[in-house]
Amino acid sequence: MINIDAILPQVFNGIQFGVLMALLATGLSLIFGMLGIINFAHGSLYMLGAYFVWTWVRFLDVPGNFWLSLILALPLMAMVGLILERFLLQPMYGQPVVYQILITFGLMLVIQQGVGLVYGTIPLPLGIPPLFEGEINLGLLRYPIYRLFTMILGLAIIYAVWFFIERSALGAIIRASAEDPETAKTLGIHTRRVYTWTFALGSALAGLGGGLHAPLIGGLQHSIGTEILLICFIVVIIGGMGSIRGALLGGIILGVVRGIAGVFWAPASDFVMFMAMGIILLFRPQGLLGRGGTR
Amino acid sequence: MKAGLGLLWEGFFTEFFPGIKMAAILIFLYFVLPSKMMSAEIVIMALPTLAFILLLGYTGLLHFGIGSLFAVGAYTAGILLARHQAHILMAIIAGVAMSGIVSLVMGYFCIKRGGLIFSLLTLAFNQLIWFIIFQWKSFTGGPDGIWGIHRSALHLGVFSINLKPTFNFYIFVIIFFVLTFIFVRRLIESPFGKVLVGMRESELRATAIGYNLETYKWIAFIICGMICGLGGTLFALHQEYVGEHLANWFTGGEIVIMALLGGAFTLHGALIGSGVFIFLGDSLNRFTVLSKAGAWLFVLGVIFILVVLFLRGGIYGGAEKAYELFKKK
Repeated sequence: MINIDAILPQVFNGIQFGVLMALLATGLSLIFGMLGIINFAHGSLYMLGAYFVWTWVRFLDVPGNFWLSLILALPLMAMVGLILERFLLQPMYGQPVVYQILITFGLMLVIQQGVGLVYGTIPLPLGIPPLFEGEINLGLLRYPIYRLFTMILGLAIIYAVWFFIERSALGAIIRASAEDPETAKTLGIHTRRVYTWTFALGSALAGLGGGLHAPLIGGLQHSIGTEILLICFIVVIIGGMGSIRGALLGGIILGVVRGIAGVFWAPASDFVMFMAMGIILLFRPQGLLGRGGTR
Repeated sequence: MKAGLGLLWEGFFTEFFPGIKMAAILIFLYFVLPSKMMSAEIVIMALPTLAFILLLGYTGLLHFGIGSLFAVGAYTAGILLARHQAHILMAIIAGVAMSGIVSLVMGYFCIKRGGLIFSLLTLAFNQLIWFIIFQWKSFTGGPDGIWGIHRSALHLGVFSINLKPTFNFYIFVIIFFVLTFIFVRRLIESPFGKVLVGMRESELRATAIGYNLETYKWIAFIICGMICGLGGTLFALHQEYVGEHLANWFTGGEIVIMALLGGAFTLHGALIGSGVFIFLGDSLNRFTVLSKAGAWLFVLGVIFILVVLFLRGGIYGGAEKAYELFKKK
């Protein structure tokens, strides 16, 4: 009999991990929804974000450097996204889907191995920022502050992105360019530029996820992106492609299920992910909150 | 019945000489390449690449789970050979059948969603199979893999061939490769293959004509899996060892790269791709600069992106274009 004290922290860890995954999946979903591209390089962008933060933390040796680095990494990631979209993805629009996947697959390889060449393959540690060290008493359990913080910040960012896309005027332009590019063009929207900025936003979200997760990983390695990419894919398959709320729901479900399964038998935490995916595919192939049909 | 036999006879004639020619070229390759082990590896890796091309080039499905099916074949043959001293041919047949069964199940889930989701699902299944292989230590050896596979004598009734010498094994591999190649080519030329190509060109049109696309895709998927399994069994014999890394998605990724490099729209692309990939990888790794921390993979990634951007037909397509330009002048 396993008591509640063992399970509760895992549920919390699950939610925290799920929110981080949802943050990444939001970027992935956004890129898919607008550009119709599945970004295999998303995991690599996550990894790149973590490395950017690590580099800035090393470079700026002042108090609060982690936060500064996180903020500095965002425009950098957006810039990487801009360049990638402009030079590699734009020639792919209107081409068969497989080439779009293949180009991001090649990109994944290049980014990952490039980082491996620059930083080496030895794990690089990144400590938890001093401001959020230690634990907090939540009544039922004591929980690390940093984890709680990433959970809240992640949720806030996902909400902000959702609000931006679904409620703001700029978001309306983005949605219009995705749903009906021809009409959007007639109305004077520079759709190509919208795609570019959407990809940049997605990249920045991936980088932010990487930066936030970095202190919890223990050691950064150039291969951390691949496993995350797979989890991200499963999150969007469960939640439904192209839906931000679906990404959040999928992420949290996956995180909690993983966490609880891990209490009973550690390897099971990976196995249940696939189980969840299989079940969803059998009964609801478009995902929990998916719009149905493939684009 | 008579017509069927006639077709078979005709097929035998049209494929016999090209098959012999291909085998001759492959044997020639054996004496040219710097490493004898490499030539066998090239031909073996061309098998999953061929399977991948059958799916991508002729059916339009991007399969990222090739590695796991390859590994299923390798593990089945490896376990049978190492623990049960099975006959080599039996082990190969079992490996192919096992990969077929696994693809049957995998295909059932993956075919439901076309296009992008298909690729994601095959990738996810790939990792699931890798995970099972990695965790099931008592059966698959987990991270240790399977040792003790011996490619000894192949008994064929009255006589037996020793497969231990590299050249004998190479001939053994070539026979399988050429037969598979001919099979795939016949398949593509058959009405079944025409439906696949028609489906790739326009799913809507093929549906309107009245073909059940899911069934066709599923069958193609299973055939692809069986060819991968064959490659895996031969690989197990070649290395005399099977490790879990085979099932990891990077193996599948390498095969994707090989296929695109060689040319994804022609069956010849399989052999060209695996040849160039393995030869380049082997020679580039010898340079001191490039052997550092996977620099070879970095170079490979760059080449791969360039191929996807500018040379869709791969090396074969590029050579074809160059030849046509040359002929015009």
